[in-house]
Amino acid sequence: MIWSWNTFLFGIYPYIAGTIFLLGSIIRYEREQAGWTSYSSQILASKRYMMWASNLWHIGILTLFLGHFTGFLTDILEWLGLDPVEHQWLAASAGITAGVVAMVGGVMLLLRRVLDPKVRYASRPMDIIILVWLLITLCFGLGTQFISVPEVIHDHVQNMEILIHYVRSIAEFQANPQLIINIPLIYKVHMFCGFTVFLLFPFSRLVHIWTAPLNYVVRPYQLVRSKIRSVV
Amino acid sequence: MSHLLDRLKYLVRYHESFSDGHGVKLQDDRLWEDAYRHRWRYDKVVRTTHGVNCTGGCSWNVHVKNGLVVFEMQAHDYPQTRPDLPNHEPRGCQRGASFSWYLYSPHRIKYPMIRARLLELYRHERATGKDPVEAWRAIQEDPKKRSSYIAVRGLGGFVRSSWDEINEIIAAANIYTILRYGPDRIAGFSVIPAMSMISYAAGTRYLSLIGGVPLSFYDWYCDLPPSSPQVWGEQTDVPESADWYNSTYIIVAGTNIPATRTPDAHFYSEVRYKGTKVVAIAPDYAEYVKFADEWLPVRAGTDAALFLAMGHVVLQEFFLQKKASYFQDYARQFTDLPMQILLRPLDDTRYTSDRFLRASDFDNQLGQNENPEWKTIVYDSKSESYRCPKGSIGFRWSQTEGNWNLLQEDATTNEYIEAELSCLGLQDIVLQVVFPDYGNSDGQAKLVERKIPARRLQTTHGEQFVCSVFDLLLAQYGVNRAEIEGTTDANYTDSNQLFTPAWQQGITGIPQENCIRIAQEFAENAVLTQGKSMVIVGAGTNHWYHNDMNYRSIINLVHLCGCVGQSGGGWAHYVGQEALRPQAGWLPLAFAGDWHLHSRQAAGTSYWYLHTDQWRYERVTADSLMHPAAKASYKGHTLADYNIVAERLGWLPAAPHFQSNPLDIAEAASQDSKGVADYVAHELHNGHLTFASEDIDHQENWPRNLFVWRSNLIGTNAKGHEYFLKHLLGAENAVLGEDGSGRASQEIQWHEKAPVGKLDLMIDINFRLNSTGAYADIILPTATWYEKDDLNTTDMHPFIHPLGAAVDPGWESRSDWQIFRHLAKSFSTLAEKHLGKRKDLLAISLLHDTPNELGQAVGVSDWKREGKIPEPGRTCPNFEIVERDYPHIYEQYSSIGPLLATHGNGAKGEHWETGQEISELLAINGTFPSSGKGKEDARPSLESDINACNMVLHLSPETNGEVAHKGWLSLSTKTGLSLTKLANDRRGEKFSFHDLQVQPRKVISSPSWSGLMSEEVSYNAGYVNVHYATPYRTLTGRGQFYLDHEWMLDFGEGLCTYRPPLTTHAVAGLPEAIAQQGGIVLRFLTPHDKWGIHSTYHDDLRMMHLSRGGPHIWLSEKDADQLKISDNDWLEAVNENGALMARAVVSQRIPEGVAIMYHQQEKTLNVPGAPSTGKRGGINNSATRVIVKPTHMIGGYAQLAWTLNYYGPVGSQRDAEVLIRKVNDAQISWMEKQLGSDLETELRQAVEESQ
Repeated sequence: MIWSWNTFLFGIYPYIAGTIFLLGSIIRYEREQAGWTSYSSQILASKRYMMWASNLWHIGILTLFLGHFTGFLTDILEWLGLDPVEHQWLAASAGITAGVVAMVGGVMLLLRRVLDPKVRYASRPMDIIILVWLLITLCFGLGTQFISVPEVIHDHVQNMEILIHYVRSIAEFQANPQLIINIPLIYKVHMFCGFTVFLLFPFSRLVHIWTAPLNYVVRPYQLVRSKIRSVV
Repeated sequence: MSHLLDRLKYLVRYHESFSDGHGVKLQDDRLWEDAYRHRWRYDKVVRTTHGVNCTGGCSWNVHVKNGLVVFEMQAHDYPQTRPDLPNHEPRGCQRGASFSWYLYSPHRIKYPMIRARLLELYRHERATGKDPVEAWRAIQEDPKKRSSYIAVRGLGGFVRSSWDEINEIIAAANIYTILRYGPDRIAGFSVIPAMSMISYAAGTRYLSLIGGVPLSFYDWYCDLPPSSPQVWGEQTDVPESADWYNSTYIIVAGTNIPATRTPDAHFYSEVRYKGTKVVAIAPDYAEYVKFADEWLPVRAGTDAALFLAMGHVVLQEFFLQKKASYFQDYARQFTDLPMQILLRPLDDTRYTSDRFLRASDFDNQLGQNENPEWKTIVYDSKSESYRCPKGSIGFRWSQTEGNWNLLQEDATTNEYIEAELSCLGLQDIVLQVVFPDYGNSDGQAKLVERKIPARRLQTTHGEQFVCSVFDLLLAQYGVNRAEIEGTTDANYTDSNQLFTPAWQQGITGIPQENCIRIAQEFAENAVLTQGKSMVIVGAGTNHWYHNDMNYRSIINLVHLCGCVGQSGGGWAHYVGQEALRPQAGWLPLAFAGDWHLHSRQAAGTSYWYLHTDQWRYERVTADSLMHPAAKASYKGHTLADYNIVAERLGWLPAAPHFQSNPLDIAEAASQDSKGVADYVAHELHNGHLTFASEDIDHQENWPRNLFVWRSNLIGTNAKGHEYFLKHLLGAENAVLGEDGSGRASQEIQWHEKAPVGKLDLMIDINFRLNSTGAYADIILPTATWYEKDDLNTTDMHPFIHPLGAAVDPGWESRSDWQIFRHLAKSFSTLAEKHLGKRKDLLAISLLHDTPNELGQAVGVSDWKREGKIPEPGRTCPNFEIVERDYPHIYEQYSSIGPLLATHGNGAKGEHWETGQEISELLAINGTFPSSGKGKEDARPSLESDINACNMVLHLSPETNGEVAHKGWLSLSTKTGLSLTKLANDRRGEKFSFHDLQVQPRKVISSPSWSGLMSEEVSYNAGYVNVHYATPYRTLTGRGQFYLDHEWMLDFGEGLCTYRPPLTTHAVAGLPEAIAQQGGIVLRFLTPHDKWGIHSTYHDDLRMMHLSRGGPHIWLSEKDADQLKISDNDWLEAVNENGALMARAVVSQRIPEGVAIMYHQQEKTLNVPGAPSTGKRGGINNSATRVIVKPTHMIGGYAQLAWTLNYYGPVGSQRDAEVLIRKVNDAQISWMEKQLGSDLETELRQAVEESQ
């Protein structure tokens, strides 16, 4: 592999980010149990406002995450019988919808975080950095649609196919950054931003994603802990 | 091992479910729990308490980790008291539990701080080669320099300095003041010694050694109930809280037990489980009302009317109709009801009550040669003759000892006598007697006429009519007697008759049926239980101008029902009333009694009233308060004038004493052949010497240096806060009224221009920055209650316990004891050159519990008016010379002086030798190094705080059984009773400081107190008097319904009467521009708070989170509606005394017409500017001004005699009214601009012009 910025950013950087993401999360989990939190500031703000802001943001961003994951890393849509053009149509329409929803929620959150003196005072620098970074990533993600949508109208889905191959090459540890050498810049910027989110992840409040209390849906009402283990 | 791996066990997870799968047992990692365990882990535990001005006296364990205090917990290892009594513990409340926050808080004073401008001036002068005293002189004698730091007080500007430099400055200021004006221009203010008695003693010992003036405080902040010394000759003596549990009927009026007596409140609820009925009297739905079985919502300030009407019912039903023998026997032996009084003719038909009949009124003095004019008389129904019973004050200070007791015996013949309560049926005549009625709607006093049976008596000054106090009381209470009124029917429903239940209904709003029923229940209970009916009272009833009337109406009731001195009965006053149990050992430590026989002290209220020039604004005239039938020999005198008269008659202390320097007078006096006292008396007579108060605003008479420690004078105690700022401190202030009314004074020289900025130097000693620090010139960092060794007692429980140093004093702080010790060292060093040994003249007022309390027995002779030469110790103060060894103040401070061994020790009039204890202290404390020249010279050391604690413990009857024995022996001799048995079982006990560190100890019964600390009974005031026949320290030796001093009668308070809240005119005095802006006038009540103890804890982050976290005022919904105020809106409260800002709390709890602002929310936090004044909003005392009451100034008259914190004018504030209005958020200004040069010029000019 010959050195180039393209090679570094899209062949090596994703692994750096991924390593920091995983190792960082583990180390933080081991060292900072008491700091493993979403640092929620919900108590400081108006209930109504937060109901909209937080829900829009979380619904939008989770939909986007799911969409990226299934679209790029699985063949579910193919199994369902969608051809690449239909796949792209679905991706674009769902992506734009969820993106706009997340954008509205995210901007509301940002405004509140910066303008409300109480929330501002309670914010750590990383809380603002990560929110701004996610919004930037989101902007570029939405920006890609200015290329994708006109293309799909003309049944062009080449870029998408290249990106699918590229993303899979990363996931399969056979990184092939050459694949995307000619892809429009905005895709690359969006991807760089996305990788960086993973890089920042363990240093931010995003760690709460790891321990989202999903089991609340199914767990029994009452948990009691055994006395046997680990009580010193 | 690993949090992550511990979670990764999905394959081995063991699920044991239960309750049909609703629950599951996990085997999760539980290491996270250790975080909580670590939070409560510690390295050591130390016992201490909170030396805050609170009566809790709670033992706490402070936990230390890594050298820092991490948390405190209630100690629960008090000694067990009696079987069948709930435990005292756990003691402690939310406030104490939050204290550790202060140690490391942003308010903490860490270093010696000084006003930067003052430091620059001082360093500049020093740099020019001047020595410290010269440097201070150079600053003080240049008005420009002086004003540069004085005028900016309260506006910030502190810098750090070093202990050495600061001590040098203070010592230089003290020495300059002593030289230039006299040591009596140096004063000190500190509150309630009982909470940390060594720290209190530190400052007063220093002041007493240099000749400075410790000021009284208990009277000043109006927690002193003057009624207590008036009735019993005792400062305040009340049941411990456990005694509530012995009661079977309790009325609570104006003390919020759950909120302010939190650690004791459990007794209040526990006793209800025994079936005790609790009645609450309160204008608002206060916390204590929730505990009650019945609530009587009186109008604020009218409690006396209700209690007088209850007394009416008791007299009518239990004395006249049922003739309850328990009540009558009690009244005969323990009250002055059978004492005979003279009736003074007003005109041909009407009489008014005059003084007590005395042995001296009889030709043969009834066989009494010693002090016959101080012995009161009863009529013996057995022998049908006038007799002089034992126990009156004349027997207390008599050569022949053994007759000062309450045995029902004739003092001359020792025969049993049966004192007659009423002469009805045996009277010679029925007379018309007048009583004052102040309860009229127009505010004018009127005369009420009643009939009374009386006897004719030939006295040394002709034929007189006499009657008993009891007959007079029945007439005044308006009780019907068949033989006089022609009917015995109760006239309860006659609303025109004074003191009937119907009459009180019109005043208090309480239905007459309720009043009658509660009175019947209270008295019936007392008959059945022999006095287990109790009235618990406090600030809500005592903080009024006429507080003595409120209280005496209650005391009358409990006396009539024979409750005083009975377990579970009596009068229980709980506000600021901490009992310094080991008083006898503490007094010489605190006032240097081991070095000097006399010390200088002053009455706080008079001091501040005069020196902060509040008298110049006085709108209340003394004449308006008088009895319409008064002799009124001082008619036309202003309230301040009465104070001046009282000073020159030796009743009240004067500080400064005279216009001249007492060192100069002493010098001249000791060279005069007449002797010191005669010399001074002559100088006063010929006018060469004048009292300082007669020209109080003269520069020579200003207070110059002021120490404030353990207190927050400016932020808490300063009634008339803005006047303090203006006249005393010269700071920016918001006084809105005009000061012309002081011109009416007949005794005080009037200066057209009032002084501004009298103090040269104010020193605040504190661990936190509060308002006093903000206005001071120097702030010294002191140790907190977790950083020093000290002692603490309270009257809420019988234990003594320590404050203990859990950690060393933080940063550069020192304990108060060490602060003043080091200051004494700097002082001594400088004094070597400037002062040397000097003589100091003390003018000592006629103190209670000394032979001087026998001043003028009959009438008031004013030497100045009558042109006579004053008689020191009788018609004017005593004059004594004290030798001050100024270069050795440090040595004197640090060791126990020789006088205790040679002169003995004592308290409250008792006296015993104590040489043995002093020689034991040599071994306990070691000797002070520099004093140990030879064995003869060796003196016990007081170098460490613990040395000082041990001195107190070893010399006090309460903590040393042998001393208790000596004390009881002394009282036995005086009374002729056998009393040593009361403490014999504990004669061998001796407590040391380290004993108390192990466990709080229950103190030993002592003659300094009127109750017992035995295994059988809870402490209850008057218990010894009623069970062992020791007299009260009053004129008659009994509890007094009647006070016969001429001034008492002038102001219509011979008997208790109803006096409505005072009209202060404070809102009427507002400048028109401000008054016109609208609002409504509300009664301004300032009770004690749940989230703070005075100003402490209000700025504690933890308490701020629990409360509103800033100044707030409670309003009723209706008043708030009218003002268009909703909850949490800003409002302004303003009157001529100043303005304050607060947020509104709108609540149904509050009755209409009342605004409640819990004191003492300071202006250091969350206080914006007030629109009316354009200055920062003040504190609750910005709306108050102190108004003195002449009857509190009486002295040299048995129990009516001044002693520090015992008797004297009180600084009431509850009669205040304020104009309240809404302030819109847009008008709120936080005033965060820098000091502008315009303002500075204006402030400085005011100070310079008055110098």
